[in-house]
Formats: sequence, C-alpha cells, structure tokens
Amino acid sequence: MSAQNNQHGWWLGMADMLTQGVGHGVMKIERVHLAIADETFGILERVPVTQPWSRVVRVSHHGISRLCYRSVSLAATGAGLAMGSDPKTFRPAKCTGV
Amino acid sequence: MPSNPMSRWQHHTSAIASGFFGDWLESRRNPLAVSLALLHSGTELDLAHPEIDNASGTLCISIHGLMELETVWQLPNTHGESYGSMLSSSVQGGVTDLVLRYNTGRPIYRNGQDLSEMLEKLVSSWPVPVTRLILLGHSMGGLVIRGACHAGSTAGHRWLGLLSDCVYIGAPHDGSWLAKGAHSMAGMLNERPRDYLKVIGEVIDLRSEGIRNLSRGEFLEQGGDEPPLLPDTRHYVICGLLARSRKHPVNAWFGDALVHEGSAQGQEKSGWQLAGVATFPGVDHLRLAHHPDVANQLQEWLV
Repeated sequence: MSAQNNQHGWWLGMADMLTQGVGHGVMKIERVHLAIADETFGILERVPVTQPWSRVVRVSHHGISRLCYRSVSLAATGAGLAMGSDPKTFRPAKCTGV
Repeated sequence: MPSNPMSRWQHHTSAIASGFFGDWLESRRNPLAVSLALLHSGTELDLAHPEIDNASGTLCISIHGLMELETVWQLPNTHGESYGSMLSSSVQGGVTDLVLRYNTGRPIYRNGQDLSEMLEKLVSSWPVPVTRLILLGHSMGGLVIRGACHAGSTAGHRWLGLLSDCVYIGAPHDGSWLAKGAHSMAGMLNERPRDYLKVIGEVIDLRSEGIRNLSRGEFLEQGGDEPPLLPDTRHYVICGLLARSRKHPVNAWFGDALVHEGSAQGQEKSGWQLAGVATFPGVDHLRLAHHPDVANQLQEWLV
C-alpha cells in the first residue's frame, strides 16, 4: 500500500473515530444534561409557587434539548458517512517505521 | 489529502487510540488500529523471507506496553540504541534486535497467540539456525510474553525450545492499581441511581479489553488456573519505583506510577522461581523501557 493510501486511510479512520465519538458522546451528554435538569425541575415541582409551570417548562426544555443533541448526533453520523469512513471500505494500513 | 508517509505524531495517535479502543477499532477495520508487525531497524520484516544483514542465531525481541510504540525502547542520548542492540556487542555471535508492534487494546491472550504464531514462522524462516531466543516485555508486553508462552505450549510450537530468557519489565502480573481503580469506579458508578453518574461509569467502561486485562494481569482466554512459568527458561523481573528512597510512602501507594513492586514481582503467584529480580528506585514506569541502569542489569543477566 502506498504512502498516499496509508495517509488517506489514516485520515478516514480518524474521521470515523471522531464522528462516532461525537455521535455517541452527544447522546451521553444529553443524558447527563437531562438528569441534572430533572433534579432542578423536581425541586421546582415541590414549590407551590412554581409547581403549575414547572411541568410545562420541563417538557419543553427536554424536548428542545433532545432535538438539539440528536441533531448534532445525526449530523456527526452523516458527516462520517459522507467522508467515506465506512468500515466496509477500510483496509489495514501497512506498517512503517516511526 | 497529504501524500507524505505517516508522521511520528500519527503513529503515536494510532497507538494511543488503539490502547483505548483497539478492539473496537479492529472490529470496524479502522486503519487507526495498529497492526501486528515485527520490525528490525524500523522496517517491517517479511516473516516468510526475512531479509536481514548479518542475521545472528540469537534473537532478542522487545515487546512494548499499553499505548506505546517500538520507539519506547530507544535509550536516551544514543543513536537509536536499545536494550537489544546493546546486547549485540556483548553476546558471542551477536544478537539480532527485533521489536514487536501490536494493537494494545486487543485482549492480551489474542496478542499472545499471534506472537506465538509469529515466532514459530520466524524461527522456521530465519536465514541462520536460531540457537537462542530472548523476550523482553515492558508492562503489558510482559503479559503478552506469558500469553505467547501459554499459546505456544498448547500448540506445541518449536520456538519454546529455543527460548532461553524472559524479562518482565514493570509487568503487572497481579494487576495495575490504576486499571483496578477504573474497574471499581465504573462498577460503583454504574450502580448509582442517578443517570449522570451512570454515564460516567459507562464512559469508563468504554476502555478496551486490553486495559481490562491489566486490572488482574490476565493473559488467558478464559478465567482459570494460570499456567506456571516455563520450567526450562530463565525468568527475570525488573521493577521501578517513583521515589528514590525505597521506604518513601509514594512507592507503597503508586509503585512505579502504574504498577506496584509486588505486582511486578508476581508476589501473589505461587511457585514462581525467578532467576533474577531487580528494583530501580527513582525510575518510573515508562523510563524502565529505556534506562541505562536497566540496560546494565540486562547485560549482567543475559550476557
């Protein structure tokens, strides 16, 4: 395999790892964000003054957040596919000295 | 896209990525996964037809540790000298210095099996009859040696009869405190009811099989009784300690930074008969792979 193919493969591999990482990482961040927000909304729901609105705000907050995070995740996955970092096309890189 | 050969930072990035996620990268056939190779003077050997100038009958094969590359063996302030090449000038008939490069995120037993197969091919095709085989393993590399010995014994490989010396340099035979800590932390966080704590546990759990094996020094495919050290081979252990004073508490807490002295010596193993044990206070885990004092010790043991 030529140096050019090695470089090309390496960058495709990097793109695959990064896009997969962003795609999955964003979903983890979504869970952390919503779980922490639930703690706050839980307190607001126990306060009589904020109780009527907290449920509505929680639903809209979670909905908007999910939409944002999943859009980023989808975009990352799409970017990975667009860059051609498809495992079916990967070939092992030839070993060269460092 | 650049067309020049891969640079040093790219090789190191691949090694680090392989250490963390090597099994996952391999399953995706991702080119970042480091492929198994035996190198001589920075060039990959063709195992079927190894072309080497001045091939000697004694081979010294150095096996690096987690997230490392073969460059870890280069002694500082030398022209690319390593433990293997330093032996060459002292051992009668010379020593051919070979280094292994492998994906450190794969399960250790699989790397051991592949190393065993590789050595079998190598001794068969070597330009001159192989009379002596020396294996040096740093950190995870020490466990890979044990995995290869086990795989070779099971398969009845011929190279085991040529193996004279195994040197385990900072190898976590009883596990690494950091890998144990990661294992415990992930288990504890995964049991928490809060989702944000579980996520941290899940992220820690993304670590490769290779790292998981380091928590207990595992080199077998399935849990079970570990085979003893090969009886007809000399086994040596080298340990490092962070502080220069042996009694400094930091040595008891962290050992050489990643491996405790007791784990490197396999103190929890029964029936170990070691031909030599040496501890180097003030030499940390990484420097054990390229330290002049260690080189002198190896000369004393192996020449």
